[in-house]
Amino acid sequence: MSRSLVHRLRLLTAWGGLLAAAVLPAAAAVTPTGLMQIPLTSDIRGTNPGVNRDANTDTIMMHVLEGLVGYREDGTPDLLLAQALTLSPDGRRYTFRLREGLTFHNGQPVTAAEVVWSWRRYLDPRTNWTCLADFNGTRGAKIEAVEADDPLTVSFTLDRPQPLFLTLMAGFNCGGSAILHPDSVDAEGKWREPVSTGPYRITRWERGRAIDMEAFAGYRPLPGPPDGNVRGKVALEPHLRWLIIRDASSRLAALVKGQVDVMPEVPAAEMLQVRRLKGVHIVSAPMLGSYGILVQDQDPLLADPRIREAIACAIDRQALARLVTEGTVDANPSIVASASPYGVGRDAGAALYDPDRSRALLKEAGYDGQSIVLTTNRRYPAMFNQALLVQAMARQVGLNIRIEVLEWATQMDRWRRGDFQLFSFGFTAKADAAQSYESILGDRVASRSKTWGDPAARALLADSMNTGDVEQRRRIFDELYQRMLHDVPYIALFSPADINAVRDGVTGFRSWQFGRARLWGVKREGGQAS
Amino acid sequence: MIRYALTRLTLALPTIIIALFLIFVLIRLIPGDPAQLILGEVDDPAALARIRADLALDKPLPMQFLYWVLALARGDFGTSITMQSPVLDLLGPAFAVTASLVVPSVVIAALLALPLGMLAAWRRNTRTDTAVVAVSTLSLSIPAFWLGLMLLLLFGVKLDLFPVVGYVSLAEDFGEGLHYLALPVLTLALIEAGVLVRLVRASTVEVLQLDYIAHARAKGLTEVAVAGRHALPNVMGPTWTMIGLVLGGLLGGAVVIETVFSLPGLGRLMVEAVFARDYPLVQGCMVVVMLSYVGVNLLVELTAPLLCPAVRHE
Amino acid sequence: MLMQRPSGIAGVTVIALILLAAAIGALAPPYDPTMVDFTTRLSPPSSAHWLGTDEWGRDVLSRLLSGTAVTVAVAGLTTLLVTISGALLGAFSGLAGGWLDRCVVALMDAFLAFPALVLAIAMTAVLAGSSLAPVVALGVAYLPYMVRVVRAHVLTLRGRDFIAASRVMGNSPAYTLLRHVIPNTVAPVLVMSTSLFGWALLAESALSFLGLGLAPPAASWGGMLADSRNYFADAPWLALAPGIAISGALLGINLFGDFCRDYFDRKTKD
Repeated sequence: MSRSLVHRLRLLTAWGGLLAAAVLPAAAAVTPTGLMQIPLTSDIRGTNPGVNRDANTDTIMMHVLEGLVGYREDGTPDLLLAQALTLSPDGRRYTFRLREGLTFHNGQPVTAAEVVWSWRRYLDPRTNWTCLADFNGTRGAKIEAVEADDPLTVSFTLDRPQPLFLTLMAGFNCGGSAILHPDSVDAEGKWREPVSTGPYRITRWERGRAIDMEAFAGYRPLPGPPDGNVRGKVALEPHLRWLIIRDASSRLAALVKGQVDVMPEVPAAEMLQVRRLKGVHIVSAPMLGSYGILVQDQDPLLADPRIREAIACAIDRQALARLVTEGTVDANPSIVASASPYGVGRDAGAALYDPDRSRALLKEAGYDGQSIVLTTNRRYPAMFNQALLVQAMARQVGLNIRIEVLEWATQMDRWRRGDFQLFSFGFTAKADAAQSYESILGDRVASRSKTWGDPAARALLADSMNTGDVEQRRRIFDELYQRMLHDVPYIALFSPADINAVRDGVTGFRSWQFGRARLWGVKREGGQAS
Repeated sequence: MIRYALTRLTLALPTIIIALFLIFVLIRLIPGDPAQLILGEVDDPAALARIRADLALDKPLPMQFLYWVLALARGDFGTSITMQSPVLDLLGPAFAVTASLVVPSVVIAALLALPLGMLAAWRRNTRTDTAVVAVSTLSLSIPAFWLGLMLLLLFGVKLDLFPVVGYVSLAEDFGEGLHYLALPVLTLALIEAGVLVRLVRASTVEVLQLDYIAHARAKGLTEVAVAGRHALPNVMGPTWTMIGLVLGGLLGGAVVIETVFSLPGLGRLMVEAVFARDYPLVQGCMVVVMLSYVGVNLLVELTAPLLCPAVRHE
Repeated sequence: MLMQRPSGIAGVTVIALILLAAAIGALAPPYDPTMVDFTTRLSPPSSAHWLGTDEWGRDVLSRLLSGTAVTVAVAGLTTLLVTISGALLGAFSGLAGGWLDRCVVALMDAFLAFPALVLAIAMTAVLAGSSLAPVVALGVAYLPYMVRVVRAHVLTLRGRDFIAASRVMGNSPAYTLLRHVIPNTVAPVLVMSTSLFGWALLAESALSFLGLGLAPPAASWGGMLADSRNYFADAPWLALAPGIAISGALLGINLFGDFCRDYFDRKTKD
């Protein structure tokens, strides 16, 4: 199919240049130097940072917004708009010194006043900021005050130490807690457009079709090689256009035709085709996030830890991971991604496969072929396929798993109510290992979606949030991992890969463990392919 | 005639309101919460409540329905929950895509079916008849999605003549738009032609047994003249009605073809809206689907006497 | 009568074949249709796997056969549901007349204008994973057609002498309905049911194709077709087998339907 697509392209061009005209509608007209086009799976939800958002919105806004801190390549926080940070000995007062000479998209200088204004706006419940709970004491520490000490110095006072403060601040879902110019809102405080400091600005947003961006001429990148979303952010392409193409195969066709230069988020099912494409190479990296099976121990059958462990032992995680992801990643039996500093080794998955132990456990528990329902959906192929393979593997040891396919919205409903036996699921990228564990571990009365409530484990998780020491945290997470393997609230299978198909001639594109396309530092050679 | 049209529309109103009410209640009663879908895998009751309040989903159902109908009366379809844009802005382009797929298909199907069906009836119980009936029965029996896939495989992949995926709107680039629409239109036309051929054949067979055809023949008219001047007007009646039914149904229900050829039409918009529990968008789609169904049927009914004089006599 | 019409014979033969395939699929398929085998992924037709294997190494023939059982069950159940409820409702509505009749007609019109697809998604959500979901969705979608046919027929019957006689004789309306009206509507109902079975079969495949049918990994024709799309170029047999099955089955049912219609037409004319 792929070869013939290329072939057809040639044929079409020979037919009289119809295609070139159709494929690059306004490209030539807008910019004589060309236009970098990137497909987006769905439209963004809004431009108000961290208010009305989803993953695509975060990716787009990451090019526009900048906060005091951002993420390095490995997901640890680093200073972005600030050049220095001092932490008071009691761990409650963070003082940021802003970089000098920074300007907003409207040309105004960045000063402490805007930082205070931005943060007071975020902390105002009327803003509806997604991350409010992380900063107002609902989840963890509370910001008691944000004050400008001088025109370039801002200090944040917390009610208690919060080692993860910077990590939380940099969160993509929070819009990176971007510093905004007050012109972003109108006189009544209603959202207008983002006037921030990022390397690109949105020039046009045609809903449902495209988002146009222009490099911000006044941008001053942090020096050094490209790192995360903090360093080396040089906008090499003056114009970006994000095309909204919902259908995966349409995105692929657009890539083959040269309509788009980079295709992020290649689904595993398309890998067979993408690998054989000429003129396209793959850039991929393991991503944060975890795919696996949630195990509901409140179910009478699964209350028996031997049955839970038997299921986990029956799964050949390595074979499963390779099959589901078309050979792009290895197994990862921890809920913490392999890319995280707190992840486990790549061989850990294969070592846990033990069908004999599984059979022995089942026999010991007196398992008698009772049917166990594994709930999944068709919307996300990886969740469906992993369920199919888990069922097949479990059958080898005599486990009778029945697959129940729900529509996604219904499945989410069941998840929130904890109404399942086994649940095929995938958790998105979390910057910190503690956040990964929080997805399954916590107060099971307040939050029924959690499958793990062990008090000792919860205490460990709380400890991990109260220290910033890497060695100490690694010990805590190692123990949490061992406890998870023992209690089996969740059978982690693999961390997905961030797979991007990139046309030859495009340089500087790097995949990231957060699975977000970054278009700064990317350059096309020789203009638009035809 | 205008008065008649208005009366008919008024009569259709209760049906439309019942159906709208049904969809309104149904889409809210089924499991799934748009607020949770927006949040994703974040289990945060407070955030959930906030989004629900934002979307006015915390109001009692009858109030929500009332608000919606009142807004609708002002021409306000509301705002899509998932796409954050006015529902009307989404419905317009999607409807245009579906119409540019469905209308040409039905026209082509009718142009194929009339001569073929009449020919078969004229040559009743000959090999020609058998062949036409066999082919039309076969085309009835092939599912549209499979025919579409096979045409894609043949013309798109093997012969490299047409694009396999994607869509360019006719308004954007007419030539390229046609190129993208050719296969889906062909698929749909072949399927619909099957239904119409059989109908035309059956009506013609009946008409041919009528006395005045015998009279016309006795007067020494050629067979072509008999067919064109005397048989056709009578065959047009039921055919025209059928075209209306097919068109009305397809304008809201071409989702399978839209899926096979990845066309961003109304059917797919509606299905995706239901999946995302995008209540305003689902309701908006329903309004368009039903209005086009009722509208097309009304139009057919009103134009029938003009096109086929036979209808007037009844 | 049957033997004089080749299309009738063909139709009956195909229907017999479908039923046979469904029986084999339900009782004794050559392989377990859900058995995943990583070593034989996407292998072309061979003596071990007559129709090849799919992307998970499952035997396509076995899946096709068990899919037949599923599809026939759904289409059959839908037809049965619609036939019984539609015939009763249509006859009742036609006999009762007045505002009751008008209510039924309005409700049926609303059902007609209601996209079956939305209903199908809704039913999939409510009756998660149950095989009843497509049956209910298709049943509601097709009910108006049956009601219309029966009601129209009953309206013509109503004026006939034997119905009036039955009423004059003091028989209850229910008795009249069951004893005189229903038996006289058998012919149109049967013709309609045959069409319905075909429609339901096609619609079930379309729903599965869109991922709204019965829950996989149970095989279904439409679902197999949908899954085949990613392996179009590498494994065309995945798309061919279920497509030919659906088309063949529909052809047989359509031929049989034509035969039934002709047969009853002649009978009424004689």
